[in-house]
Amino acid sequence: MSQTAAIFHDAYRELNARKLFWITLILSGVVVGAFALIGINEQGLRIIAWDLPAPINTQFMSESAFYKLMFVNLGVGFWLSWLAAILALVSTASIFPDFVSTGAIDMVLSKPIGRWRLFLTKYATGLLFVALQVAVFSAAAFLVLGFRGGTWEPSVFLAIPLVVLFFSYLFCVCALLGIVTRSTIAALLLTLLFWFVIYGVHTTESTLLLFKFQSEQQVKSINQTLEHESQILSQLKSAEELNQQSIDRFESSVASSQEKLQSAEKTLNQLSVAHRITMGIKTLLPKTTETIGLVDRKLVNMDEIRHMTDETPQSDMERAQMEFVEEVRDRSPWWIIGTSLLFEVFVLVLAGWIFSRRDF
Amino acid sequence: MPASDYTIDLHDVQKTYRGRVHALRGIEMRVHRGEIFGLLGPNGAGKSTLVKIMMTVVKPTRIKGTMLGKPIGDKATLARVGYLPEHHRMPQYLTGRQVLNYYGALAKVDRTHRSRRADELLATVGMTDWANKRINSYSKGMLQRIGLAQALINDPDLVVLDEPTDGVDPVGRREIRDVLTQLRDQGKTVFLNSHLLSELEMVCDRVSILVQGQVSQQGTIHELTAESLRYEIDIEGAVPPDVLAGIASARSEPIAGNPSRTRIILTGADPAVAQPMIDRLRQRQITIISVRPMRESLEDLFMRAVTDPTTGRSRPPGAVANRK
Repeated sequence: MSQTAAIFHDAYRELNARKLFWITLILSGVVVGAFALIGINEQGLRIIAWDLPAPINTQFMSESAFYKLMFVNLGVGFWLSWLAAILALVSTASIFPDFVSTGAIDMVLSKPIGRWRLFLTKYATGLLFVALQVAVFSAAAFLVLGFRGGTWEPSVFLAIPLVVLFFSYLFCVCALLGIVTRSTIAALLLTLLFWFVIYGVHTTESTLLLFKFQSEQQVKSINQTLEHESQILSQLKSAEELNQQSIDRFESSVASSQEKLQSAEKTLNQLSVAHRITMGIKTLLPKTTETIGLVDRKLVNMDEIRHMTDETPQSDMERAQMEFVEEVRDRSPWWIIGTSLLFEVFVLVLAGWIFSRRDF
Repeated sequence: MPASDYTIDLHDVQKTYRGRVHALRGIEMRVHRGEIFGLLGPNGAGKSTLVKIMMTVVKPTRIKGTMLGKPIGDKATLARVGYLPEHHRMPQYLTGRQVLNYYGALAKVDRTHRSRRADELLATVGMTDWANKRINSYSKGMLQRIGLAQALINDPDLVVLDEPTDGVDPVGRREIRDVLTQLRDQGKTVFLNSHLLSELEMVCDRVSILVQGQVSQQGTIHELTAESLRYEIDIEGAVPPDVLAGIASARSEPIAGNPSRTRIILTGADPAVAQPMIDRLRQRQITIISVRPMRESLEDLFMRAVTDPTTGRSRPPGAVANRK
């Protein structure tokens, strides 16, 4: 136990010695400070003492919802899961290359501690950076939400495990690359590339899903039109006075709708296949965006979103978008976290296996 | 000698790296308890590979043997071993004292004991005044001193040191040598890997010379240089031709830098070999400047071990590639 404590203590000292750790922490403070300076009133936004008329006001949403959305979208969605995550990767990318460098690794491998334990403990210390950053950020956000938004929301602290989890998906890849290449730059750049790839897969899947829902709405809409036209046509045909001109027009219209339906169904079919394939690939990869999205799900519920959109969706596009949001929010957290953790375990086992067998 | 008296008892240690490079080709080595053992060899002979195998940093291709009575590779045994690698790198953000605490904790030394031990060792290696300064401000010699201290933090039964005096000034070297002899006096075993043959000669009880992944010679320096024992008699002037007649072990050579004198060399360890020659010289009233017993130095022994007898040149450095 004292060995593990010593490695963690050393990791803390290492973080403490890195300027980037403190820079990131200060920037986190600035971001939370910015939250505290912005508020909303009946007219719109209020920045320190200046009123800025805006459609976002207390008539549109409550102050607490405003702060929650700011925390979720800007604090977690933008700052913690993008900028701070990049800074964290830059800070921690050197952990494994430094650890396995000649001369340093000899000093620890020659101690009475197993290689697997050493590897996993060192990996856990890499997550310490993010855990400390998010803990400080969440605590500050909790206070801002309480004092400024008037709501004491302990679920803000859910960001700590979820952001650490999100970062761990990337850090396990960084650890593997660090052990294999022994180069900080290579580990960092390849991890950023991997992140870009999984973000690309996520975006493709989301886009295909949205297109699929739009296509479904289109098929539904064409079906309704076709049904309507077919009814009119049958009424026209069964009328005592046959209006051949109208019958011709509706027959042509029905034929055209049937063509459109066939085309739309074909598109829907293609989109469904493409989405299934992308979803299959995505299932194997870690779900960074959706893991972070769980904070959003916990803090902002579907009713609040419906309330903000104010009215029932009118167009196919709006209906598809609402269906998309519901579908994405309905995805099981167990599926999101479970499949991502399976990936992480696989990468960690591979990295640990290489570390445990390698000659240094 | 019973096996339990060997701190290190290695048999058939082999290591083949990828690309079929045979770094070690069946090492047989025994290190006695309570001795200072020196490992010598040219660059690429496999010394560091052997040390790293003992310290579990490198995995052997084949090994039989024990260290402190436990099979090589047993992690728990490492709690009783101290190690200073050749090109060690300690965390630069730590102070000297923190380094000792950190590696002490990894070596399973409890907190109170390691704190007290750190103070003692800092004094032993002469680093008390620098204990609370970050090691990134240390000179190479200071780093070696702290490195040696961390190798001793767990009060080990076996200390494995790879080039411990590298970068250390003469005063520091003397102090390190003193530490090593103190360790031996306390019954500890010291396994020393160094290029500085004169240093090894001063402290080692036994040595092993590794050449191209195999043990070329092993034993006490006295045993290994026994063959080279001789008596040298320096005389004034040239040697009359009849003086050497009839003594097979005798030969003469000029003394470099002093052409007025000549040296007569008599091979053999027994002082009796020199007596007839002294008698002959005295009978001829030749002035004898000195008579002294001589043996080859460790450097001579080393050079003899690394020289290919067929070509007369030193063997090429590096490990041996597959010869099949």
